[in-house]
Amino acid sequence: MELTAENTAVVVDSTADFPDAQARFPNWRVVPLYVLFGDESFRDYVELPAADFYARLRTSSVMPTTSQPTPGDFASVYEELAGYERVYSFHLSAKFSGTWESAKLGAGEKVGRRIRVVDTESASLGITLLGLGVQRRLEQGTTDEEIETLVDAFKRDAGLVFTVDTLEFLARGGRIGRAQAWAGELLSIKPILTIDDGEIVPVKRVRGNKKAFAEFTKTVEERTVDRPSLRVAIAHAAAPERERALRSMIRDVRPSAQIEAAGMLGPVVGTHAGPGAVGFFWFDDS
Amino acid sequence: MSDLAELRRLVGAAAASLEASRPRIDDLNVYPVPDGDTGTNMALTVRSLVEALETAEDGPRPALAHTVTRAALMGARGNSGVILSQIVRGAAEVLGAAETLDSAVVAEALRAASDAAYRGVRQPVEGTILTVVREMAEEAEARAASELAPGELLRAVLERGEAALARTPELLDVLRDANVLDAGGAGLVEIVRGLVAAVTGEELTVRAPAPTLGLEAIHRELSEFRYCTAFLVEGAGLDGESLERELEALGDSLLVVGDESALKVHVHTDDPGAALSLGTARGAISGVEIADMHVQTAQREERLATAVLATPSDRVSDVVAVVAGAGNRRLYESLGAARIVEGGQSMNPSTAELVDAIEGIQAREVVVLPNNANVIMSAEQAAAIAGKPARIVPTRSIQAGLSALLAYDPGATASENEEAMREAIGAVATGAVTTASRDVELNGLKIQEGQYLGLLEEEPLVGGESFDEVASAVIEALLSSPHDTMTVLTGEGAPGIDDLLEAVAMRHPDVEVDVQPGGQPHYHLLIAAE
Repeated sequence: MELTAENTAVVVDSTADFPDAQARFPNWRVVPLYVLFGDESFRDYVELPAADFYARLRTSSVMPTTSQPTPGDFASVYEELAGYERVYSFHLSAKFSGTWESAKLGAGEKVGRRIRVVDTESASLGITLLGLGVQRRLEQGTTDEEIETLVDAFKRDAGLVFTVDTLEFLARGGRIGRAQAWAGELLSIKPILTIDDGEIVPVKRVRGNKKAFAEFTKTVEERTVDRPSLRVAIAHAAAPERERALRSMIRDVRPSAQIEAAGMLGPVVGTHAGPGAVGFFWFDDS
Repeated sequence: MSDLAELRRLVGAAAASLEASRPRIDDLNVYPVPDGDTGTNMALTVRSLVEALETAEDGPRPALAHTVTRAALMGARGNSGVILSQIVRGAAEVLGAAETLDSAVVAEALRAASDAAYRGVRQPVEGTILTVVREMAEEAEARAASELAPGELLRAVLERGEAALARTPELLDVLRDANVLDAGGAGLVEIVRGLVAAVTGEELTVRAPAPTLGLEAIHRELSEFRYCTAFLVEGAGLDGESLERELEALGDSLLVVGDESALKVHVHTDDPGAALSLGTARGAISGVEIADMHVQTAQREERLATAVLATPSDRVSDVVAVVAGAGNRRLYESLGAARIVEGGQSMNPSTAELVDAIEGIQAREVVVLPNNANVIMSAEQAAAIAGKPARIVPTRSIQAGLSALLAYDPGATASENEEAMREAIGAVATGAVTTASRDVELNGLKIQEGQYLGLLEEEPLVGGESFDEVASAVIEALLSSPHDTMTVLTGEGAPGIDDLLEAVAMRHPDVEVDVQPGGQPHYHLLIAAE
């Protein structure tokens, strides 16, 4: 069966940090997770825009927590997409969240057949980079096999590095993974982190933002090749100046690369990364 | 007399002689900063020999020689202690193998001692203890054939050693500039003086009166007691001596100073309450400070135990670091150092302490951060002896060690970590602010005792009465080359630095500054720029 943007829908959860997905592509949907400040619950982005979230975080006396969408949330979106012959649903690493499980439950008996639910083993704009790769193929006509090959290539080759101002947020949310070893450090250190096998892994620790930035540059130079198939994305948590700096760095060292997405980390991802976090994602879709 | 008894007598005399001159030798620092006091280091090294011989059993001479060699090696503190341990080793090998102890054997032993000392240092420098021991050996060789009695021969050796010591400033510019003799050489001369007294039966001549011990010096001694207790007693007609006698029964490291109206008391004891009662019986007490010297160790061991449980087997290498100051210790632990050996400035750990630390860690391999120029050799010696592969990253300061530690990866081998850490310290510039411990003129810079002294890469840069001016000058020198991060570790009782930091932020808006309470003694500020 030939899959096209007309007969195949793409679903992501809100941790893909691509809130405009449906506005850009009619065949896309975003299923929001929830962010909670005490008893108050908000649907990620929909009821609490990212900028409002960071403003609230600064003044709130309670720290936010998050929860995954219910299977029902997924079921209703999948029902809405009943007119599509195929649905690809891409999600946050199952090691961080029950979102992927929830999506599978929501797909019910159709899971694996009409509805394909994928653990991307990534997060944030990493999920979006994969979704956009799928969309490019759908727009030219593709097959399940090609998409499966693409997903495998993404899991194998795509990369990301990110840094946070403090590991406290990752630790509090229980998402710190192997960076646990660096938690509780007293010196002000910028940890350079990545996600490997769906889990947060420490790469290096450096002093100060300038050295963190230099480390990002070094990673780009070592891990990518300058060509048009190189797709990159930049996300930040209320630190637009860092996004701008990374953007100009990419233009300098990888002028042929396409910056596919750039923007603010949403409330749910921001809850776990904390203000000041900045991430760089890449996928060479050749 | 048995060989053992004779050896005890000789070593005891050497120790007594060195002990008597220890404060004078400690003051022979090139720079007026408290930096690994040579007299203390050598005295503690010899004391470890005395202690080993106290428990040793009499046996054949080669076995005794082995005991002595081993004890000196394990007890060696600081660079001077390490070189002394090599001198002991060289001499012990010859004396242990000799049938009789005549002048020829003594000359041969001194030559072996000198050769071992030169071999022990990577780049031998003349004008140091090396010159003194070599000239002593030459003197003994020149007189070996003259059939002098060993006592007479040793006396000639001593005189030659004193002459060589007196010439050390001619050979080493840094000694001449600082107007001091080489401290290690001075220590060796005192050891030989003790030996001469023991062999000839003459009374030991002490060169200078020992100044009274300060609180600081007393803290250099390790205590078997748990609580460091200090307080002030105020009253009328206070009798310091009687208080001292009663306190003696309670513990050690005792110090009672003051006059009839006020006495400052310091004691290490297991019963601080009893010590305080002795005070209240005489007057009003105030300024009570009781520190549990065991609790820190216990807390750390607890933390280590949980850390080990959390990360079972993925640590390939662990870090042992020599650190002074409670705040610095916490910084090092938070960055993953598995074991901290207390010490650094003015208290250099012994080789044995470093060996214990290396062998006590969980991982298969160890990286050692000596964090002081005067600990690097003991660390290398410890690595050579320890039953575990250990690599030394030659960090010369606590602040440089922190940068090295940042590059540490527990999952990497010691040699991989060594490489990454060496690279890291290559990018660090260091400075410090201390108080000059005596008058000095260095590189045309005149500094008076008690003035603030600014150091750049351990060398004097600036001195003066104003802390802010001296600290600013050091910081400006550090930031004159491109650096984007500056770490400041504040010392025990350091002056406030808020205004200073504000000025730095104005002049260098791009530099990120991280201030941490280090709590190190002697150094108001330790500064690193990367």
